[in-house]
Amino acid sequence: MNTFLLLALVPLLPFLAAGITALLKREQRGLSATLVIGAQTVACAISLFLFAGAITAKSGAIVHNFPWLTFGNDTLRLGLLLDPLSAGMGAMVSFVTLLIFIYSVGYMKEDRNFTRFFTFLSLFSGAMLGVVYSNSLLLTFICWELVGLASYLLIGFWFHKPSAAAAAKKAFITTRVGDMGFLIGMFWLYKAAGTLLFYDNGAGCLEQAALATMAKTMVGGLAVSNIIALLIFCGAAGKSGQFPLHVWLPDAMEGPTPVSALIHAATMVAAGVYLVARVFPIFTATGAPSVSLTVVACIGAFTALFAALIAVAQTDIKRILAYSTVSQLGFMMLALGVGSVGAAMLHLIAHAFFKALLFMGAGSVIHGVHEEQDIRAMGGLWNKMPLTFATYAIGMLALAGFPLAFSGFWSKDAVLHAANLWPVSQLPFKMAAAAAFLTAFYMTRQMFYVFFGSYRGHTHPHESPVVMTLPLVILAAAAVLFSLVATPAWPWFEDFLAGHNAGFELAALREPGFLHVALTSTAIVFSGLLLGWFIYGRRPLSGVDPIEAASASAYNTLANRCYIDELYDATIIRLVALTGEISAWIDRTILQGAVNATAGFSFLISYLSDGIDRFLINFGFDHSCNALREYGSGIAGCEGGRVQGYLRVLGVGMVVLLAFLGWLLV
Amino acid sequence: MNTALNLLHLLTPESILVETILVVLIAGLFKATAQKRNMLLSLTLIGGVTAGAMLIFQPHYGNIANGMAVLDPLTRFIKVVVLGLSLITAVYAVQSNIRQHFAEYLALILFTAIGMMLLAGTENLLMIFIALEMVSIPLYLLAGFLKQSSASAEASLKYFLVGGVSAAFLLFGISLIYGTTGATSLRDLAQSAPAVTRDPLFLAGLVMAIVGFGFKVAAVPFHLWAPDVYEGAPTSSAALIASGSKVAGFLILAKFLAIGLAGAAGSAASSQLQPGWLPLLAVIAAISIVVGNLAALSQSNVKRILAYSAIAQSGYMLLGLSATGGTALISVLFYVVVYALTALGAFGVVLHVEQRRGGSQLHHFEGLHQSAPGLALCMGVFMISLAGIPPLAGFFGKFYLFAGALGSASQGGNLGLLWVVAIAITFNAVSLYYYLIVLKHVFVTPATHPAEPVTRRNAATFVTGLLAVSVFAIGLYPGVLLDPLRAAAQAANRKPVTAAPVQPK
Repeated sequence: MNTFLLLALVPLLPFLAAGITALLKREQRGLSATLVIGAQTVACAISLFLFAGAITAKSGAIVHNFPWLTFGNDTLRLGLLLDPLSAGMGAMVSFVTLLIFIYSVGYMKEDRNFTRFFTFLSLFSGAMLGVVYSNSLLLTFICWELVGLASYLLIGFWFHKPSAAAAAKKAFITTRVGDMGFLIGMFWLYKAAGTLLFYDNGAGCLEQAALATMAKTMVGGLAVSNIIALLIFCGAAGKSGQFPLHVWLPDAMEGPTPVSALIHAATMVAAGVYLVARVFPIFTATGAPSVSLTVVACIGAFTALFAALIAVAQTDIKRILAYSTVSQLGFMMLALGVGSVGAAMLHLIAHAFFKALLFMGAGSVIHGVHEEQDIRAMGGLWNKMPLTFATYAIGMLALAGFPLAFSGFWSKDAVLHAANLWPVSQLPFKMAAAAAFLTAFYMTRQMFYVFFGSYRGHTHPHESPVVMTLPLVILAAAAVLFSLVATPAWPWFEDFLAGHNAGFELAALREPGFLHVALTSTAIVFSGLLLGWFIYGRRPLSGVDPIEAASASAYNTLANRCYIDELYDATIIRLVALTGEISAWIDRTILQGAVNATAGFSFLISYLSDGIDRFLINFGFDHSCNALREYGSGIAGCEGGRVQGYLRVLGVGMVVLLAFLGWLLV
Repeated sequence: MNTALNLLHLLTPESILVETILVVLIAGLFKATAQKRNMLLSLTLIGGVTAGAMLIFQPHYGNIANGMAVLDPLTRFIKVVVLGLSLITAVYAVQSNIRQHFAEYLALILFTAIGMMLLAGTENLLMIFIALEMVSIPLYLLAGFLKQSSASAEASLKYFLVGGVSAAFLLFGISLIYGTTGATSLRDLAQSAPAVTRDPLFLAGLVMAIVGFGFKVAAVPFHLWAPDVYEGAPTSSAALIASGSKVAGFLILAKFLAIGLAGAAGSAASSQLQPGWLPLLAVIAAISIVVGNLAALSQSNVKRILAYSAIAQSGYMLLGLSATGGTALISVLFYVVVYALTALGAFGVVLHVEQRRGGSQLHHFEGLHQSAPGLALCMGVFMISLAGIPPLAGFFGKFYLFAGALGSASQGGNLGLLWVVAIAITFNAVSLYYYLIVLKHVFVTPATHPAEPVTRRNAATFVTGLLAVSVFAIGLYPGVLLDPLRAAAQAANRKPVTAAPVQPK
């Protein structure tokens, strides 16, 4: 089979499954789950096959472009692309998605709208895989918006809860703000490069000719490439929850937990990172530490630290993970900003595994304690839910970056290492290091709250069914095993992305720069863990958080998410509301007055015209109609039925025609 | 010798029709029953279809005795059309109230068909005249075939008298043209006509010839016979007069003017009138449109409405002819063929109503949609198509016609014919009135007649339905008719002018 068909099948199969399940009845739960999971299994198998092919292939990227719309002499083309980046991302996305689908069967078992849920999931999967394999920014954008739509539908899946409906709206609108930038950037790119295809035999927008043009053209002191890159980054920041567009992501936890795991941990939020990695050549069109990359690095570092701080004071198990996600996305953006696509993608994939694991673990916990999400009402679950505890602990250690055996350690070190080498400034590195410390700290806090101590809730916790724990085990294994290909000793993944074979070199571990960073981060992680144990592990926990007891104001600031939402409420939303009020006022008084005046005037005119109509036109029209009919009768009456008359007319007609011609002749 | 053989070869379809006539006449000697009428019709159809098949498999081009008998794709196309129209008329005849001498009736229809085919297939003035008479004389007889009916006899007599006078004019006109140019073949005429365009005698001949043709196509002021004949003649005869005769008449008029007198066209552009046939045609077209549409308004008999409608439609077609040029000719032929199909279909419905309800006054059509819903629907298609409302074929006919007339470059500027087109469009709006009046009686007005048994399907209603479907289909895909017509016209234009007698395929 040819690669194009295979590539196309990966997103098309979930789309098809979504289309079919959309038509199923609510009762056909088994069928819908079978269809969706079946389609996803095949898609996953194909993407793994393609990934395997990409590993062995030496030929580099495979590009298939096809015409989509033809208008005039222009043909708009879309395309699919298989290169190491998309192959790796596609394999991860389809694999994690498949596991979450399976997990959902258990988690959503009681829900009435099980079928609808799977329809949305499958729609999401198709759109996400479309983003991954697209070779055209336009196709990316289309799928990107479909992903946003699916996310909206899934966050608001329990739309009867006002908070869920509001969260869905918030997510959609906030990401739309970023997407406006994306859209403008896309238009600009089309104008500057003349194409939206990434690769097109030298004519694509990511290829040398277009990049050189964009780097040369200056607008307001900035190269066009940098402006376009920043505009596209707006979209990426919205999707990936970067400051200041991060506010929707914690609220999105209103969706069912598999959704949080799938969309808001592993795949969709990573789409922003993937997008930047995909169009990375535009960012570097003017050389490595470009203006656009600097912005990305700063925002990434700030987001990483800022979100980690907020996570310290959250009490909702999923919100902690949500802020942790924001923070980790900041790490990835930082890696991109300092120029290391490899580190970013490494951390992206490692993070996808362990964060999906953590979310699904949290879902299992929530499921086990009967829909309780407040960590203060948990505790001592380690022996009641042993499997969940074990896998969650692996995920937590991976996220915290516990040394050696966990993928998070290596990927985070890669990010830190890259940040450390950044020639522009050491500040992002220091911020990231602080964020890493906080990560270890708040995860320890969460562990102690949830799994240790004594149970503070009022229900009877129980372990979740196999269909939910099995994916946990698989993901836990992935979170550990992925570290094998992530170490600098055998930097297989990064080299794969870069397109050359990896060598196995233990010596890389002893490289002074890396060793330094690794030791530092190990120290940071251990101090974070220790501090966590020191504050939360020594004494049984009560309702009041120890930090709150120490400094209420600081804790409350963090617990209230630094009042960012309030700030937005007070500024942007108030501004919008004010504009709305003003518009409404203008509408009511000025415009409505004008409308009323117009209406009055129209009434006047219509009375007048009615009069005219009645007494002049109708009169005239009726008369002319009657006149027409009378003419008709007259003409028809000309033929009295006497054939002599007919012949006379014929003769006269001829004479008249002759005279007419004679007149023309003279 | 060679010429005679070639002639026989070229006129094989016509010869087959002659043989069919003989067979039908002999078969008609036996006692008349309903079954026998069907048998006679079958014979006629077999002969006609055989002739049509021969026509299709004939060589592509032929030209005998300097245009006496010619054959080219366009001619063949028109021959097939007129033959088909005649055969449909024959099918109608079985359902009509002609009981006596049915074989003779069919034979006359076939005679007319032969005349029309010969008319279509000639480019010589003498042959044109003879063929025209071969069409006219059987038609006079067909119009008067209901010997017991005084209306039929009157119609026949009027038709004959007006036709005779017109024929005299035509012959006189041809003589004058021959006298001034020395040519009877249209292609020779084309060579010599430009030299005499301002010769009064030639122009007089032109006017007289146009009078003769004007009678054939029922253009004002040579139209007066039409309402009486349409009303008085048996409906199947009227259907043939309205469809086949019109197609043949227009084709020959177009040939006469566009081939023979292309150099004597003059100009009808309102800014620069030049003597010639164009201004004549434009004026006749305008008057026909006005008179036909107005007079139709006050009619109460559907056949008379159709007659005046036919007069107005002739005006539209003449307007199309005034816009010379390849595409305009195609658009006229498209219009004529569509019109013929539509009119034939409308007469089919009239025939049904007449047989069931004893008349064709408007009130006879009341409540038709209940007793014969299918036919009522067909009538709707035909009337709306005649009125030129999309998506039916009539709309595209008018569209191509007007577009051709406006775009015609020969008219000294692109919009030279605007004045006629403006009149045409205005009065097209007026025409809606009487077309919709018919439909109002068919669909809206409740029946005042006693309910009649639901119609049994018969061949005539089937053919009517077929015509409605084709009008509808041509409306949806004008290319069905337009493409073959265009291809035929292009092929005809490529024809070598100095053609050898008969060229094998």
